[in-house]
Amino acid sequence: MICFIALFVFGVLSIFSAKYRPFAKQAFDCTFRRLTLRACNTSLEEEVKSKTVAWALSKNAAFAKLLNRHWELLSWAFTLLMFASLAYSLLGLVNYIYYGDCNGPTPGGFCIYSELFGNGTANPSQLIAPSSLAGIQKGNANASVVVTEFGCYSCPYTKDAEPKVQKLISEFSGQTLFVFKHFPLPTHNNSYDAALAAMCANDEGKYWEYRAALFERQDEFRSYGNATFLSIASSLSLQNFTACLATQAHKGELDSQIAEGLASRIYGTPTFFINGKALVAPATYEELANPVKEALANAQ
Amino acid sequence: MDAQKIRSDFPILQGGNLIYFDNACTTLKPRQAIDAQSEYYSSYSACSGRSAHRLSKKADEKFSRSRETVAKFIGAKSSEIIWTKNTTEALNLVAHSFDFSQRKKVVLTNMEHHSALLPFMHLAQKGAITTDFALAGKDGTFSSDAFSTAIDKNTALVVVHHTANSTGCPSPYKEITKIAHENGALVLIDAAQGAPHHKIDFKKEDFDFLAFSGHKMLGPTGIGCLVAKEQHMQKLNPFMLGGGTIESVSLSEMKLLQTQERFEAGVQNYAGAIGMGEAANYLMKIGMENVEEYEQGLAAELISAVQSIEGATIYGNASSKQRSALLSFNLKNVSAHQTSLMCDSLSQIALRSGLFCAQPAMEHMGAPKGAVRASLYIYNTKEEIRIFRDTLEKIAKLA
Repeated sequence: MICFIALFVFGVLSIFSAKYRPFAKQAFDCTFRRLTLRACNTSLEEEVKSKTVAWALSKNAAFAKLLNRHWELLSWAFTLLMFASLAYSLLGLVNYIYYGDCNGPTPGGFCIYSELFGNGTANPSQLIAPSSLAGIQKGNANASVVVTEFGCYSCPYTKDAEPKVQKLISEFSGQTLFVFKHFPLPTHNNSYDAALAAMCANDEGKYWEYRAALFERQDEFRSYGNATFLSIASSLSLQNFTACLATQAHKGELDSQIAEGLASRIYGTPTFFINGKALVAPATYEELANPVKEALANAQ
Repeated sequence: MDAQKIRSDFPILQGGNLIYFDNACTTLKPRQAIDAQSEYYSSYSACSGRSAHRLSKKADEKFSRSRETVAKFIGAKSSEIIWTKNTTEALNLVAHSFDFSQRKKVVLTNMEHHSALLPFMHLAQKGAITTDFALAGKDGTFSSDAFSTAIDKNTALVVVHHTANSTGCPSPYKEITKIAHENGALVLIDAAQGAPHHKIDFKKEDFDFLAFSGHKMLGPTGIGCLVAKEQHMQKLNPFMLGGGTIESVSLSEMKLLQTQERFEAGVQNYAGAIGMGEAANYLMKIGMENVEEYEQGLAAELISAVQSIEGATIYGNASSKQRSALLSFNLKNVSAHQTSLMCDSLSQIALRSGLFCAQPAMEHMGAPKGAVRASLYIYNTKEEIRIFRDTLEKIAKLA
């Protein structure tokens, strides 16, 4: 059974060095024969076993004996482990591509903005509050407490936080100003255009409806982009949407919000600032609301 | 015989801890044989006997001298030596050139190497000959009765090994030759494992044909020879013709050479032949009697070492006299390949594992999945056998 592992190991090594290719070829042949319920007719399996047992024998005779006696069983165990870890790694990769997090949509997770994450700044204490109030605003413009969200419409975690955001806006509408700053993640399909589309809807006073629809149809717009954006616009009877989107009317505004996010060292969405205090991807409503309550109490 | 002095002639043995016990497959090469071959390429790389220039003359002189040396080594006349690329080609040459028109029966044994078996089995499949087999006992050795039954007045040729490559034991070739000649049959000896380890006198033994390779006796690969009594050589009908094989040719007729060159079509492996000549010279300087004596000492030590391993099974007759230092065996519950690979990994011991191109023989002796073969030569030592024994003991304890 070791040929399955050998195929994987030598297959990867063969990409970088030609000397491993004959082994990879042997492993492939052996694997193919095993899969077609035939006996392996290369000596690769015996070679791997012999070299491994010989190595073990140079360390500890009892260990070598155990390895030699139960080789087939251990081969099965390692092969199954390899397939399990391979499947787990693939799942992690899919999760990373889709959610920006190898663990998938876990509470408190966030969509990684890889560039900054790669720079090792994934630490809320290093986040810097934005200085401007530019963005989509809702609430009391003169409020002493400002809640700023950096979000991305294609991010499942921003979507996950949306009910909490709406509840927060509703609960503290007279006491706070909510500002949404677009921070479309470059690793997500159509995230940049979704932000432009939402800004075009804002021109016609239908931002919040459009925003709700974007989150609702997140999977769809990530695949189909403009078709979905236009469909939402049509359902909301937006008149100038098509031209606005086609000309990227809000590109400058959007780029400046992204630049603000980068300056704030945003490493994932959603990220909130409550009177300057950073909070990344709150797992519960209380986690989001409590700092607001504290800020209100401090402001009084 | 001073094995340590001999070892100093082998570049591959200088430095490192290589223990080479795969000599039945091919031997290591002494500096003298390597240099002789290399000198041909670097100093007089030319065709022998074809051109008139000085390089060609020198190549011809060296090539001819090698033939004489090899002839002397085997106790034959140089006119009885036909160059081939190896033992296999020499055996095939007889199979495909021999006149089977009068008698069609060929007697072989079940202990033969595939190179001796297959050419004749192939001819039998095509209906050109019939085959009969003298069967060995379970220990791989023969009683002469096996041959007196199989060889009769219909027998054209008896093909038998000098020394079995699977057991290291000699066949009763003297008795076989006698029985064959009494019945008017000729004898073809496969001496691939015999010539490198034993003193063979082709004339004295009264063999008719004998085949052996250069690379199993310290020479280069790609060269070997068929030794054929002149009167029998005349009756062989070459199966491959080309440059250097004819006296004259026109579009209506051709006249083949009467000498052995008519079997040596095309430009020959001059470097190989010169290297083989030098290897034969090297062995003759040591003396084949000394080689035999030294190897018998190694054989006794080797057998004793393997016998001391619990659960080891030896194939062939361990007490056989005149045997080579060659032993096939298996360890209990450890496959032959694993034993061989682990000996290499643990102690850099080079062994052969498998069926040794002698599947019927191995199956007959109860090793259908093969065995491990340790085959020693003049540069191997008792100290190496001790390391081998210790390594085997460690491996045997894994089971």
